[in-house]
Amino acid sequence: MVAYCPQLASVPVPETAMTDASTTRPARPLTVHKPSVSGLPPLRPYARDFWQRRPFMWHLARTELKGTHYNTFLGQVWLLLDPLLMAGIYFMLRSVVRPAGSEFDRNRIIAHLIIGVMVYRYTSSSMASGARSITGNSQMVLNTSFPRAIFPVVAVIGGTLEFLPMIVMMLVTQLVLGQPVGPSLLFLPLVFAILAVFNMGLAMLVAPAMVLFRDTSGFLPYISQSWLYASPVLYTIAEIPPNILPYLRWNPLFPTFAALEEIFSGQAPSLSNLVFASLWAILFLVAGTTIFLRTEPDFAARL
Amino acid sequence: MLPDSDLSAPLGTDPEGRPYVVRAHELGMSFRTTNESQKTLKGTISSALRRKKTERTVHALGGVDFSVAKGSVYGVIGRNGAGKSTLFRLVAGILTPTSGQVAVYGHVTPLLSLGVGFNRELTGRENILLGGLASGLDPQQIVEQYHNILTFADLGEAIHSPMRTYSSGMFARLGFALAVHLDPDILLIDEALSAGDAKFKQRTTDKIAELAASDCTFLLVSHGLEIVRQLADQCLWLEGGKVRFEGPAEAVVDAYLANDGVAPIDASAMVDL
Repeated sequence: MVAYCPQLASVPVPETAMTDASTTRPARPLTVHKPSVSGLPPLRPYARDFWQRRPFMWHLARTELKGTHYNTFLGQVWLLLDPLLMAGIYFMLRSVVRPAGSEFDRNRIIAHLIIGVMVYRYTSSSMASGARSITGNSQMVLNTSFPRAIFPVVAVIGGTLEFLPMIVMMLVTQLVLGQPVGPSLLFLPLVFAILAVFNMGLAMLVAPAMVLFRDTSGFLPYISQSWLYASPVLYTIAEIPPNILPYLRWNPLFPTFAALEEIFSGQAPSLSNLVFASLWAILFLVAGTTIFLRTEPDFAARL
Repeated sequence: MLPDSDLSAPLGTDPEGRPYVVRAHELGMSFRTTNESQKTLKGTISSALRRKKTERTVHALGGVDFSVAKGSVYGVIGRNGAGKSTLFRLVAGILTPTSGQVAVYGHVTPLLSLGVGFNRELTGRENILLGGLASGLDPQQIVEQYHNILTFADLGEAIHSPMRTYSSGMFARLGFALAVHLDPDILLIDEALSAGDAKFKQRTTDKIAELAASDCTFLLVSHGLEIVRQLADQCLWLEGGKVRFEGPAEAVVDAYLANDGVAPIDASAMVDL
């Protein structure tokens, strides 16, 4: 335990005291700031500083959610109402283009839309808040020196906290609309964990883009919208014309939505969907983290 | 550079045997900036198409060497744009140098002109928690220090109001109160004292002297030269990103004033400008 007391700062701290309790800071680290040869920061101290600020990340995420009235009843109601309204709009649009058949079919499509919109919103909001995470916290970036990866991670933690109540809402939707509720739902935590990793990588990828090019935020809505249409959210996989399907399979979100479609229709997700979803998630996380860490030293100079 | 095997003083010691806690060697920083206020993708593409070079390099610091001994107060003076704030951000690790290096032995707490990174929408109380967590303390340590911070900041009921309602003096008071209680080994103070009133200035100078006596090290940027002369042991005069003069604070401040055509005797008149 290295409790702070400036008067004791000169007293040598025993080796053991420096290594116990991972949440306390090690005594008097020696740090050398110099241009990095590899373009990456020293990873071990970086990871240590990052891990040590868990309470900070948790606190910051909740602080940011407060701004969206997450902690009020009406704020929660709105969070759930918004995807329902969007799903309603998409259903009307679909009904014009392709009238639904039987009542069961109609209910299946409505459930598919509601669940799809909720899941897609998790990714799109992680992307949007990840993009803002550095530029929106410029005061903190310019005045403090902790690992910057904390900001996009906090953005995704916030997005996850908003997403959790929606999972309950998805189950309610399944029940109300008479869709299958069975053991296949036990795969949900796995698929959502894969999606969380994917979103984390995505946030890490867009955050530096926003710092380097400030008009990124102007392009994001187009990307977000196109990506929605390229994902099996507004349509089911069975409805995709066979000549287009091979192209849509390259959408990194495709295996995730395919697995979810299987789960919510009462089947276990196919192994290939789970494997490809995981591969995309890992790819995004590794690429996002690498690009983020390489550009991070420039952030303060560019804000 | 020097890191040797001596564990208590990995950066060497000064002539009086006090260990160094900050050592900069050939420290340089240059920025690539665009002529536009903010770089955009559209702007980059269009200037690439027109084969127009919009980036230029600004050398904020060029090859600065200095050393700061433990428990001392080290002043940094110079005109606007001399590189003082850049130097501080390099020592704090906020910026990464483009050449040379700076070694720091201990926890650095930057108290820069904008506060500890406060969120203006949150109350002072919430910012104490946020600032403490940001600097890596655990919640328990912040709770222990909370009362001391409140007492020192002396903001009364305003601590429960959002910080956007604070005056610049109140901002400075909370920033300083938080920074000195954040377990710093090295505290960087960049013009953060100038907004306080006379009473607060007196308390901050007392606190700095008290902490320096207990081995906390201070780096101080100020245009209040009298404060530098009064508090600092050594002083660095930066001009155009280079060291113009380093030495005992008294001598450096006098030389700086003489150079600017202001007699030392007028220094006291400048303090409260």
